[in-house]
Amino acid sequence: MEQRILFPSSDWFQKLAICMLAQEDEYRRLGPMDCTMVVRVSSPENGDRNFEIVFRAFSVDSVREINDPGDVPPEHFIIEASLQTWQEMIENIREHCGPDLKHTLNFLTFPNDPMRVNGPDQLQTDAFYRYNRSIQQFFNGATDVPTIYN
Amino acid sequence: MAKYTPTVEVGLDRMRDMARGNFDLSWMDSNPEGWGHKVQRSQAGLKLTDVDHGFYGQVPAQGSSHGTMAPRGCYVPEGTISLDQYTINEMTEIWADNAASLYDEAVVRQWNSVTDVPWEKLKTLPDDMEKAVCQMCTGLAEVEFVAGDMPAKWLCRINHDFHEVKLFLATQIMDEARHLDVFRKRALANGGGLLMASPGQEELLAAILNAPDYATASALMHIFGEGFVLTLFRQGEYLAPTEVEKTIFGLCMQDEARHVAYGVKHLKFLLERQPEREEEIHAILEKGEQAIFSLTLEPQTSEPRAILAGGGLANIELGMMRMAFIYQKQVHEYLQRLKVAGIDRTNRLSIPTEIPYAEIAA
Ligand SMILES: [Fe+2]
Ligand SMILES: [Fe+2]
Repeated sequence: MEQRILFPSSDWFQKLAICMLAQEDEYRRLGPMDCTMVVRVSSPENGDRNFEIVFRAFSVDSVREINDPGDVPPEHFIIEASLQTWQEMIENIREHCGPDLKHTLNFLTFPNDPMRVNGPDQLQTDAFYRYNRSIQQFFNGATDVPTIYN
Repeated sequence: MAKYTPTVEVGLDRMRDMARGNFDLSWMDSNPEGWGHKVQRSQAGLKLTDVDHGFYGQVPAQGSSHGTMAPRGCYVPEGTISLDQYTINEMTEIWADNAASLYDEAVVRQWNSVTDVPWEKLKTLPDDMEKAVCQMCTGLAEVEFVAGDMPAKWLCRINHDFHEVKLFLATQIMDEARHLDVFRKRALANGGGLLMASPGQEELLAAILNAPDYATASALMHIFGEGFVLTLFRQGEYLAPTEVEKTIFGLCMQDEARHVAYGVKHLKFLLERQPEREEEIHAILEKGEQAIFSLTLEPQTSEPRAILAGGGLANIELGMMRMAFIYQKQVHEYLQRLKVAGIDRTNRLSIPTEIPYAEIAA
């Protein structure tokens, strides 16, 4: 039976980082991105969990869980949503090999509900718009990552 | 009588000299300070910021007075004629610390409307939706290229020492060409066509093109105008009825965010060095705010978006409510970007921060 990876976890984002490496040509076509993304997953059981993914050029430089909220690097943007919302998005991506029209990151964040994107200042939030296609492609890697949620 | 002009005769004499083995070769040692430059490539490849460091990274506060197109850092021989073109010679007027990296980002993140949009996925839409998409695209095709014309108007006036900015603006012109072209294509590609132009938009375009100098034009266009358009593109992706519009708006959104990023950093650079110019900036921004507010009242601008936001003509009122949210977001992000640039306009904003549509409709 195929191994399922827990979301959220550093392992899960590492899997996406491996998918990214395998698709370097596609990321080269989209263009390089240098930014730090924090994924925040909220659930009644586990509270807020934060994962930092640092992108450099065409790959992921590092992945880690941020345990101390004060430990977030100065330059970043945060995408935050409930575990349920993340699950729905990931499963939609898995089902269609990419999101349908109503499950892209921009679609989910634009109305500030059910996802929100925020940075310490507007320019850093704007980085999410600037690299949006590449970030979407990164999450589309979930197509190949069987996932369980907690 | 000589067969050729004196210039050609001198050239021929020089060739005869070289044929006899008499070469000059002084150019080989003309720039000792600039020779032996070391470069380290970035992960993404060779960037402008990788090569323009040290000796070559020194950007003069005042562009060189020789007035030529000689690349910054080379030796310019005495007597080289000035082109007498450059009126923007102060770094503060145009500089942004991110210009070089935005240029590199822009050249790699180029796309095209011929093959990158999945046009084969266009499908017949209900008449009201197709008309709304076509009207929105008519408006965008009208407004997009001001962000090409404005940099083009100033580009040949910018001192050649500021090549980072000139190159970035050149990418912006290409980006805007693509935006104009892709919205025109979308309007014409699905059995509809272009609809009504917008006199209201022309007012804003005029304010950008007639701004007294580059710095104010840039504040008005890069931060105010393109910031509003950036939100509009995000909204376009959100409302997209098919994969085609989804792709178009998603790609345009990325380009627009680069233009806004330049504008914010440029204004920051300017105001840190010339804080006395803040009032000029407020004045031009007020002009823009007034123009954009009157735009929201124009039926050909607001109604198609409301139809798309509501999901059809039958739900246009719901769409108007959703549009009020978008307006609020546009104003909020605009004020936040100004804050990054060092301007607090919260108390001087000449338009409401939100449109209480539900209240107005009641
Ligand atoms: Fe544009
Ligand atoms: Fe633009």
